[in-house]
Amino acid sequence: MELTEQFILLQAPNPAAAENGRKLSKKGSFSALSRTADGTLYWAECAGSGKTPYRVSLDWTDPGAPVCRCTCPSRQFPCKHALGLMFEQLEGKDFAAAEIPPELAEKRAKQAARAAKREAEEGRPAKPKKENAAARKKKLARQLEGLDMAEKLVNDLLASGVGALSGGSAQTYDKLAKDLGSSYLTGLQSAFTRIALAVRTAQKTPDRADEACRQALRTLIYLHSAIQKSRAFLQGKLEAENFSAEDTILFETLGGVWKLEELHAIRAFRENARLVQLSFDVSCDEARKEYVERGWWLDLDTGRIDQTLNLRPVRALKYVKGDDSRFGLVEIPVLYTYPGEGNCRIRWEGGASRPLTAEERAALPGLARPNLTAAVKAAKNQLKNTLLPKFLAVLVPVGRLGKVGDAFVLEDPFGDRIVLRDREEDGADHASTGRLALLPGEIPTGSALFGLMYYCEEDRSICLHPYSVVTPDRIIRLQY
Amino acid sequence: MKLQPLYDVKERLEQAAIAGTGLLAEDFRLSRAAEAMKPLAAASPVLGRIDAGLTKLLSAPAEERAGLLLDLLALVDAVAYTQGKTGAEGELVPLPAGSGQYQELTYGQLQPLLTALTSTGGGRMEVIQSAWNNHPEFFTDYRVLPAVVAGLGDSYGELAELNVSILKEVGPIVLPLLKEDFDPAGKKAMARRVELISALEGAEATPWLREMLPQAKRDVRAAVIRALGADSGDASLLLDLAKSERGDSRDAALEALAKQDGPEVVTFWEKELAKNSQSVKFLEPSNADWAIKLVTSGLERRLEKFLGGGERPTYEEGADITTWCWTLGHKDSPAMLDFWRWADSHMEELDRIMDEKDRPSFFGVKLTDKLLDIMRHTGPGPLRDFCLNLFDRHPAMTRYLHVSFLAALLSWPAAEVYEKYSPYILTKKPLLDKERKETLNNVLLRALNDVYWNNSQGRHVVVAGQPAAESLDSRWIERLVHAACKPDSGKYYPFSGGDPVNGFDKNLAELANPADPEQCALLVPYLRERMVETGSWYSYGQYLLRFGGSPGGVLGKAMQKSKDARLYYVWVLLNEASKSLPTGEVADLCQEALDSQRFRPTGNELFLAKKVLPWTIEQLWAGKTFPKWDEWWNMRP
Repeated sequence: MELTEQFILLQAPNPAAAENGRKLSKKGSFSALSRTADGTLYWAECAGSGKTPYRVSLDWTDPGAPVCRCTCPSRQFPCKHALGLMFEQLEGKDFAAAEIPPELAEKRAKQAARAAKREAEEGRPAKPKKENAAARKKKLARQLEGLDMAEKLVNDLLASGVGALSGGSAQTYDKLAKDLGSSYLTGLQSAFTRIALAVRTAQKTPDRADEACRQALRTLIYLHSAIQKSRAFLQGKLEAENFSAEDTILFETLGGVWKLEELHAIRAFRENARLVQLSFDVSCDEARKEYVERGWWLDLDTGRIDQTLNLRPVRALKYVKGDDSRFGLVEIPVLYTYPGEGNCRIRWEGGASRPLTAEERAALPGLARPNLTAAVKAAKNQLKNTLLPKFLAVLVPVGRLGKVGDAFVLEDPFGDRIVLRDREEDGADHASTGRLALLPGEIPTGSALFGLMYYCEEDRSICLHPYSVVTPDRIIRLQY
Repeated sequence: MKLQPLYDVKERLEQAAIAGTGLLAEDFRLSRAAEAMKPLAAASPVLGRIDAGLTKLLSAPAEERAGLLLDLLALVDAVAYTQGKTGAEGELVPLPAGSGQYQELTYGQLQPLLTALTSTGGGRMEVIQSAWNNHPEFFTDYRVLPAVVAGLGDSYGELAELNVSILKEVGPIVLPLLKEDFDPAGKKAMARRVELISALEGAEATPWLREMLPQAKRDVRAAVIRALGADSGDASLLLDLAKSERGDSRDAALEALAKQDGPEVVTFWEKELAKNSQSVKFLEPSNADWAIKLVTSGLERRLEKFLGGGERPTYEEGADITTWCWTLGHKDSPAMLDFWRWADSHMEELDRIMDEKDRPSFFGVKLTDKLLDIMRHTGPGPLRDFCLNLFDRHPAMTRYLHVSFLAALLSWPAAEVYEKYSPYILTKKPLLDKERKETLNNVLLRALNDVYWNNSQGRHVVVAGQPAAESLDSRWIERLVHAACKPDSGKYYPFSGGDPVNGFDKNLAELANPADPEQCALLVPYLRERMVETGSWYSYGQYLLRFGGSPGGVLGKAMQKSKDARLYYVWVLLNEASKSLPTGEVADLCQEALDSQRFRPTGNELFLAKKVLPWTIEQLWAGKTFPKWDEWWNMRP
């Protein structure tokens, strides 16, 4: 695999570590650059603050997942020294062929032994997991009780009126949310936390009380629908005594977390997928107290647009590796897709990146929806579903891009138009429509526009929040 | 189909949810909206369901209303979404091609930079400066460029100026963005845009500047007028503006006119200077012959008035002459030589001019300083040649030694400079002609302060950046360590805190080349001696390590002589020592420091020192690396 700057950035625990590594490489902190004759192991010494330089090495036995080792005391992994050594390699510095130092050879041997053991274990049939039916049943019953409690809360809230929110105590809703968490309904718990946040907004900034009320009302509609559908779902499971995870969005709505083996069990996977990232963004979910790092991916074989979500709880930010924008094509041995509709969540392990070929690049715009009408229809279908996000990520063909008055407008090759506008809910840091006017050069014919299609209450229209322009030559990101 | 009744129902239902279902029965507006909905009900089944839902809701018992209301709202929302319109009527105007380029930048690279450029608060300067130093290509990205342009109005002035310098380097691709949405009545940000446009386009900016001028106000107006100076064709416009403008705008016109040429301009300046002597300051950057003639002749005229000693300058006259001296700026045209010859021929008389209160006016000193400053900035040529012989021609004028020495250093082989000038550094207290010899010694020491070893360039450099013709002869170090007369030149803290060193030692350390073994060998014994004499163990210790020496054997003595030490500085010095000295020597240094017992009693530093130093010695002998500060600090009780 070719070592690229992007690959190094993706290995870094955070951008600062990568930057510090680059600085070490730039200022010539590395010495005794060595490598094995087969090029699978690189090592060097790096000057640090102590008298003795750190000994740092990169084991490329698995080119997609290098093993980084360093004698520095940093808790970051990989440390800046290992990243710096990658930059040394990227720069094409001269590494002398040498014998592997004994301590590295020993560690390598241990690593190989562990890998062999793991491989042997994978070959054996997995032990059947014991299913504690009584405990599962008890959990379902508890969840149903929780749903009753949630429904009562929704009804009470509506009886007194959402407008009375600002007079209430946010702590009350926080407590209710906590109780729902104890009933294994963490999904609904987040919805109640959103209501608590709306209360706080209304109390702290009375001029935003109306907006907070509207937001709380949307959450209540969602809650009501989720409660009704979940109750039917859980009762069905209880009656059928079926306690395994199922291919339904309700599992996550209730707060369930899919494991890869569960997705495998329901056959929600596909082999040998080829994906290209269209856009990347980060937002903060205050209700769940976590950062959501979202990548939008186009499947080259199916034309689907799905999303990766890297959730980083604020409290554990340091310990959860951040995700970042990725360019080029990722070849994935097994691609897992979460149950759902529209843009599903996807996950994988051990994909390999490579640059797109000219043919692959040229084919990307062709994966757009046939026209705006088809895209709008799909978006409306998604918007109607109370449990799904109020937007749909779509790739639509570009006929012309321009302005009608002050509004940015996309016209598809058939002459249909849609207004391009930022989705206010996403915040100012996601504003990207204005950047269309700054795009370098003209947009060639045969291009497509990627963005989120949504309903704008203001003028009751379906709009598109543009994220990227996909031309036959490249993907121009309006965001990240 | 007209769907207004549907939207009215939606709005009323939302209002009902906000007001509470308890008030539903009294909500006559909702009832009215429900009535208006009835004609639509027949149009489609889904609208019929809404109508039925409304009827059910309005007649439902209180405990069922919440659920029904939310069901109905979900349905109405769904219908509203499906009825959402698309499209935009009117002529579609194609988007113009923007400036900048598209770079494949990751979120991790782009987001911190955009946040730093567009937000407020501390720490932003470092992010932007670091990105600019390491990745200048980021700044050509079409997403970054507009943020940098917007940053010209940053409330943190230094950051706004950094953005100006970045955009100057980025080049003309930024011009369309600078001209887009330009507000001639704007504030500082717009003035900075003008400055940039002028810097990037030069004289070609004139048509745009002329277009903006009529609407331009305050800061922007001054900037536009200043920028007009870049075009030699703007002279007549600027002459008009100099008549019509007031305040900052007039100053800007004068600044611009200083860059112009031609008989009309010269006539204007003659009149202007006759009327407003202080306007001469605008001619400071000009190196044009006419400006030199005006400034030098005006200065000569002003000085000549007082040469005889008959008349004495008032405070105002003295300040005026000082301004005219300052206006000489860095004018290094050969045309200046006549003036310097004139000044040289009258230097004794200039030194004798006393002000109205019988105090020296120092005009001679000011002019010599100016000559020195100009010479430091000027390359080889007649002016430097003039300076080379200045002291030889007037040995009585001791301050000329400074000028001639630096000129020699910039021009001659190192050995020649040493042989000619080193005798002025006294290695014994003089018995005869003491005053003159000491004065010349001090002048030469001051001149040597202007010279330093530049590690990155690997050569000696004179203040203002010109390199010496050859690196300083090593014999200077030997001469200086034996110097007998060292004037008191203040205290300095060259290592960010710690203890002081005097000016002579600081300059000596800056003069020596740490990579030259001969110079190091000369300097180390001197620094060890000075360390004990002064008790400044931290600073001299650092110097010793820099020149390959060791504070071993003198550290304890120096600490005994100094005030109580802060443990942190001891750690810094020992940690630095651990990078270059053998383990045994570092352990011995720890022991020396411990034996001195001179640690601050406050904050348990003495107690901590007694704990960490023996522990560190053990660690070092056990082959471990020198501990981090945190390891020491965490051992406190």
